[in-house]
Amino acid sequence: MTDQKQGITEAEAIEQAKQGNEAAFEVLYHLHKRRVYSLCLRMVSNPAQAEDLAQEAFLQLFRKIGTFRGESAFSTWLHRMTVNVVLMQLRKKGLPVVSLEETLEADDDAPRKEFGTKDVKLTGSIDRLQLQRAIDRLPPGYRTVFVLHDVEGFEHNEIAEIVGCSIGNSKSQLHKARLKLRDFLKFMRAEKAKTG
Amino acid sequence: MTCSDVQRALPEILDGTPDGPLAADFESHVQSCPDCSDLVSDLNLITSEARQLAASEEPAPRVWLGIAAQLRAEGLIVDSTIVDSTIREPETSAPLRPMLVPSSPRRRWSAWWLAPVAAGLVAAGSYVVSHKPAPQVAKQQGPAAPGTSPSPTSAEETPAATSDSEPARAPQPLAQKSDPPTPPRKVVEAAPSAEDQQFLSVVSTRAPSMRVTYENQLKAVNADIRETQAYVNRNPGDVDARQHLMDAYQQKALLYQIALDRIQ
Repeated sequence: MTDQKQGITEAEAIEQAKQGNEAAFEVLYHLHKRRVYSLCLRMVSNPAQAEDLAQEAFLQLFRKIGTFRGESAFSTWLHRMTVNVVLMQLRKKGLPVVSLEETLEADDDAPRKEFGTKDVKLTGSIDRLQLQRAIDRLPPGYRTVFVLHDVEGFEHNEIAEIVGCSIGNSKSQLHKARLKLRDFLKFMRAEKAKTG
Repeated sequence: MTCSDVQRALPEILDGTPDGPLAADFESHVQSCPDCSDLVSDLNLITSEARQLAASEEPAPRVWLGIAAQLRAEGLIVDSTIVDSTIREPETSAPLRPMLVPSSPRRRWSAWWLAPVAAGLVAAGSYVVSHKPAPQVAKQQGPAAPGTSPSPTSAEETPAATSDSEPARAPQPLAQKSDPPTPPRKVVEAAPSAEDQQFLSVVSTRAPSMRVTYENQLKAVNADIRETQAYVNRNPGDVDARQHLMDAYQQKALLYQIALDRIQ
């Protein structure tokens, strides 16, 4: 299938999509579907719901594609939309979606001085299911930054653009998210040890 | 450096931008402090394991089908021309994904028959959703413990599309009845139905490079229909499952419709 020497770039696909070319839309979809879906899945932990959210994110993107001027990377634009779609869904469900600034201020009680269950160690390996469950327990703001950085591999400058915060804020949120995850995981491990 | 200092420095250290003296002090403290050593080790472990969660799965075909249908409905798709191209990175010439196929504008083979088939699929889905099947225990009772058995019941209940309930003759040959309660779900790919075969034949003629894509999408949708049908058979009162089955039929109808639009 790799016959043609020339193909279209993402930029060309974007231009063709602006003209309403279905094949161009499909090219863009296939280029980005995994990452978008993964982001949704890590945020809501439900495959069917993640698919719905991914579909909605792409629809919003395609509806607005005529306004894309290339000031930021297309993927950044897409992922920003995805995060907004997900957070809106979480709000609809009545989950408290705290802004990043609020989570920053409200975290003075973070268990930093003691290390949770001190004698429980995470060394070795972490059960992937437990990790996902721990991620589910994170507040949405922390969860977003953690998923974008540690799971999906975005850099802090990209995350800052996606979620609309500063780079310093992104780093701080990430660190706090990791600390919370550590506490959750140690707790789960301790509980599991108790029940045998 | 104290433990508090370590905690303050962690974001920079872990994400790789430490300055020389800071890093040295950090290392020195961590090596001598078990608590801080555990903390750093745990955070590194979390980070490395998190990366394993990155996408290995793809969304189901229905996602694109839904997007395409909605874009059409909103009039955002105005040109369905298939062009000969592959997507590539600007820096390299290596194609990322072969997507599109040569167009043959001369061939105007009409696949008009796909439209009624698509409509039939939707009708079949509606019938299934609205009709409550007789409680079939279809477990492993004598003949035909339908393993994947959408067949016997669906043959009765879905008069139209038998696309994936292809083996309308029960899986008797399979469940040779010797007692072993065959596993509840054997995901055996059923032979494609006559409509699916004809559909793929048309695609092969009209847009040969798309055949694999459509074949894979059909397999996924058919598998979804089979599994959901089997679930509905076991749980006839589950309204959500019946709706999901209806959705699956609609997705298949969409797939036919999109293909019809492309290859006409």
